[in-house]
Amino acid sequence: MPEDKKEIVGYRQQPGKLDFTRPGSGGSSPNSEKRDPSMIPQSQGGELDQPWGPHRHDDLVTGRIIGKRTPLIDSRWKVTGQAVYGDDVRLPGEIIGRLVRSDRHYAKVLSIDMTDVESIPGVLATATGIDAPSAFGVLPVTKDEHAMALEKVRHIGDIVACVAAEDEETARLASAAVRIEYQDLEPIFDMRDGLKDSPDPIHDRDIYHIGESNVQKRVFQRFGRISDLKNSIASYENEWTFKGVNHGFTEPHAVVAHWDPRGRLTLYTPQQVPHYVHRALADVLDIPMHQINVHRTYVGGGFGGKSDPFPHEMCAAILARKSGRPVRITFDREEVFWTNRGRHPSRISMAIHADKEGRFSGIETDALIDGGGFASFGHVTTYYNGVLHTAPYEIGAFHYTGARVWTNKPASGAMRGHGAVNSRCAVEVGIDHISEELGVDPIDLRLANLLPPHSATITGFRVTSIGMRECLERVRKESGWDKKFRKMPLGKGIGVGCGFFISGSGLPIHWDPNKFPHATVHLKIDMDGGVTIHTGAADIGQGSDTVVGQAVAEVLGLPMDMIRIRSKESDTSPVDLGSYSSRVTFMNANAAVSAAMEVRSELIEAASLITGVEASCLVLGDRRIFNKKDPAVGVSYLQALHKAQEDRGALIASGSYRTPPMGKMHKGAAAGLAPAYSFSAYVAEVDVDIETGRIKVEKVWAAHDCGKALNPLSVEGQIIGSCHMGLGQVISEEMKYGRTGNLLNPDLLGYKIPTVHEMPEVVPIIVESNDPEGPFGAKEAGEGPLLPILPAVCNAVYDAIGVRTNELPLTPDRLYRSIEKACKQQGIKDPRDLPNPSLEQTPLSDILIRRAKDHAKRDRERRLNPNPDAYYNGQLFNRHDTGPPEENDPDWTVQVLPDQEYLENPKLAGSAWLHKERRHMEGVE
Amino acid sequence: MKTPAFEVHMPKTLDDALETAKHLHEGGHDFDWISGGTDLIPNYKWGINPKPHVISIFGVSELKGISATRIGAMVRLQDIVESTVAHPLIVEAAGTIASVMIRRSGTLGGNLCLDTRCFWLNQSETWRKSIDYCHKCDEGTGADCRVIPNQNELCVATYQGDLAPALMCLDARIHLASHRGTRSMLLEDFFQEDGITRNVLETGEIVTHIQLPENSADFIGSYQKLRLREAWDFPEGGVAFSVGISADGTVSTINMASTGFESIPRKHIELIEALDKGPNWALEAERLGAELKRAVRPVLNTWFPPAYRKKMASVLARRAMEETSKRVTSG
Repeated sequence: MPEDKKEIVGYRQQPGKLDFTRPGSGGSSPNSEKRDPSMIPQSQGGELDQPWGPHRHDDLVTGRIIGKRTPLIDSRWKVTGQAVYGDDVRLPGEIIGRLVRSDRHYAKVLSIDMTDVESIPGVLATATGIDAPSAFGVLPVTKDEHAMALEKVRHIGDIVACVAAEDEETARLASAAVRIEYQDLEPIFDMRDGLKDSPDPIHDRDIYHIGESNVQKRVFQRFGRISDLKNSIASYENEWTFKGVNHGFTEPHAVVAHWDPRGRLTLYTPQQVPHYVHRALADVLDIPMHQINVHRTYVGGGFGGKSDPFPHEMCAAILARKSGRPVRITFDREEVFWTNRGRHPSRISMAIHADKEGRFSGIETDALIDGGGFASFGHVTTYYNGVLHTAPYEIGAFHYTGARVWTNKPASGAMRGHGAVNSRCAVEVGIDHISEELGVDPIDLRLANLLPPHSATITGFRVTSIGMRECLERVRKESGWDKKFRKMPLGKGIGVGCGFFISGSGLPIHWDPNKFPHATVHLKIDMDGGVTIHTGAADIGQGSDTVVGQAVAEVLGLPMDMIRIRSKESDTSPVDLGSYSSRVTFMNANAAVSAAMEVRSELIEAASLITGVEASCLVLGDRRIFNKKDPAVGVSYLQALHKAQEDRGALIASGSYRTPPMGKMHKGAAAGLAPAYSFSAYVAEVDVDIETGRIKVEKVWAAHDCGKALNPLSVEGQIIGSCHMGLGQVISEEMKYGRTGNLLNPDLLGYKIPTVHEMPEVVPIIVESNDPEGPFGAKEAGEGPLLPILPAVCNAVYDAIGVRTNELPLTPDRLYRSIEKACKQQGIKDPRDLPNPSLEQTPLSDILIRRAKDHAKRDRERRLNPNPDAYYNGQLFNRHDTGPPEENDPDWTVQVLPDQEYLENPKLAGSAWLHKERRHMEGVE
Repeated sequence: MKTPAFEVHMPKTLDDALETAKHLHEGGHDFDWISGGTDLIPNYKWGINPKPHVISIFGVSELKGISATRIGAMVRLQDIVESTVAHPLIVEAAGTIASVMIRRSGTLGGNLCLDTRCFWLNQSETWRKSIDYCHKCDEGTGADCRVIPNQNELCVATYQGDLAPALMCLDARIHLASHRGTRSMLLEDFFQEDGITRNVLETGEIVTHIQLPENSADFIGSYQKLRLREAWDFPEGGVAFSVGISADGTVSTINMASTGFESIPRKHIELIEALDKGPNWALEAERLGAELKRAVRPVLNTWFPPAYRKKMASVLARRAMEETSKRVTSG
């Protein structure tokens, strides 16, 4: 380009009067690239096919980066070993903290004697519960944790005291020298015992305590035409047992606390939710939040296990304050298991009913979940075990009773697929059983019972985009389902399972969503043209930094190397709720888009001033703003930027996101409410060794509706990773408690995460249902993909050997027990002689196939219609027209408290309602 | 986790090594031998019987070397797996051990001398404190056995080495050395039924190599292993089976040995003696399996429950036999 050369010569002659051009136009390639029409949506005159209709962000698409396979922007730090994780933080003068943990299951702490500790040379600080008596907890309604035990310890591994010393060896020596006097209390390990009255409930909720029991939370919900359940012609009823599982992340918890010379605390911690730690630290340390900087380090895996504010984070801060030195605490693996917050062990009674037309007349679920020693996220989990299986199927009635109890074990909490995984598995296995009873193909049965797009579930969740049908159709086709199902030899099988998950929790925990946004993103662009994004969203390896960068780069037409993310420190990031409930892509990228839109319009305004072209005719391309009717007329991004910066300097913009008003008003209506929902369907093929009970999962076809794959590379990664994690829960992983109540396998040899040998080939299939409110149509892909693998494998095992399971993990010994039982029932000596299940289709099949076809047409029309009619769950049963059923159907039940009739014969978790809250007892005011 | 401090001694020759051991012993110093360290060091980290001195035999060249009939104690497991001269049955069993990375460190001698394992033992010190310690590794605490309470006579921790049953099926002899001299014995006589004593090794004595009979190439066999995952996991039960084929093609000897069921690996001589060695030996697979199931006595201290492991003994034995038969037929 000869012109460029002339300008460079001129640069010396005319200092201060030259535009930035090359080099300096930004990005790694010197020249602006042409627009790629295949990346521009049809609605904008491009060639990008839009089978699900246009999207509100279509006009922001520059075709640069959204939808392209993009390596995560922090990946080079990780693969070169330069990423600083929790335990990599090294500050001058740091010392080592060590926690003193309970060796009792349940006991009163009578005294703590530090005499021997203080005489050890090198010990610099010690602390006990009285140093920080304020309670904290991730949910404001259930703050039941302390930095260290105040009066009693609630499980082996509960923290009693802490010490800090010059080095690790001294710290370990010191922690062993603390003398603690306990008075043992009667521990409980079986969650069923938690429902009973106890002489010493594990926590005391004062007047809100439920009887004298260990029930922490109970839920009762009854919706729909309960009376119809009697008319069902096929039913599935089973009692499930699910063992607890742990996240099994690679990086153990680690924290460094440092009080700087001005008296401000910086806490370095691999946290999914830095903001909640920020709040909890302020409470526990009794200092204002502005005196604290929470620095999120790189996170070596979280999966929900690093989203609570933790006692060890408090302990580090307390020890650092006492010693005046930075304090580092890193966990051993067994401490990770004692901290846990993994998936709740649960006992789920699942009943599903279908009527003669193959419709699901109702689901009745009773879920007792084992919370361990603390509340954590359990309040929400108790709801999720029920409400998250009210879709994707249209159901006639829904009855859920749930209870969470405290036991003397490490606390359960949130884990990938929070609260939805176990009951979803039971539902999907139930549907498989029902299709067997009805004599229909389970995929046909599902396809004929799906909620349409833009509908409301039975409890009133607003569902927008739904790609469920496409997921099922794709896995059916790609797996060769029709040729394999019930047609493979004994020992080989294929099974299907579906999933449904929230894309961001609709309600922020700490504030009114109408007053304060869920997510905020700030942008700053200075003369160099690079964009600095300030966000509080915690990148925990899922790629949230990348996705927010992509959103901004797309809108501004910039290459990724011009994007810089500052998401680590609370000092510089706007408040964000953190990485949980699969909210980040949906909420944070939406906030980023709106911030970028602000900058975009300033750039267009400036370009319009330079070129004289009307702003409405200008579009953004690669580092260029030009007239869409005459692309030759335009200015470079930097020219426009510098014009926009005249008289004011750096551009700054702020964007935020909050959920629209939605949902109903009954008690618990907010639990499970989300601005969008993801859907998925998996088919798994297995090989079962019928003589040993060993399952080998051979191949998985995994379809997930994520709305729009902003980065297909990471969506596929999430799908494959979810498969691996869910596979662990279905074939091998469990937290194993021995007869003494001790956790027997708090290590990665005993805790059986599937190895590469167990991992099947996964065929990820991305379905894009174009969510109207998601950023560029996107929904979550981080948690939902985990759900279907469990039932898909269980159902495939049935297809292989005709044995149904009701217990996970399905380890060989458990499956073998079921095989033996089946042999005994059928009078067979050798399991190799078990009959191979087969399917003889009944006439109902044709009815279902026809209905599915009609529904497919209905759904296509609804998704393309910008203003579809309201659709409420229940219309499939022709009971009411288009209005809400509770207003039109006199037999429609909405009930959130049990009646006397139920209490006469409650189910297991439902029996929690036999207790009265103390405040409702006689003699209590 | 922090490994307790210990002093490492690194002799260069066998004599040096034995001399170092003698010296430490006479000085009243406790010590352990270390070869690959994949078993010892994790145990040390967990405070399971750590010693102040460790003699590394890494540099002792006499302990290396692999041939068809002799394998040195310091031969790495992965070298056995990749060996073209080692007996196929040994190669098969070695290939099931842990993972490639661990096999690149672990050795034959270390695998044979593997410490016994138990849910109540292989835990950290803090953990063991919560069960009032373990009889096997917390001497001086007066701890009871947690697997079978009210007895602390016999430790029932489980032996979970994979190579021993395979070697027993090849009639291997194990050679030991100490400053007092050398001795050798059939491998089945090396082990002693107690989770603490484990074997006949005396203080200062080490395994130098194993020796196979000259005709070991005439043995054909199979090793079947029960475990939850195909990598890392120790055997929850393992059965090796072999037949010796004479020059005329008939079966001259039959061997079967098991591991992972009890505190020692066991060669099941009585079961085999009753077996018909005629051309129809393979038809007895079902019966032999049932007998092995009766013979083994697992306890509840590994991942799978003992009742399941017992039942699987019969499946493993039958499969080992069927596989051997298949291999005999295919030559």
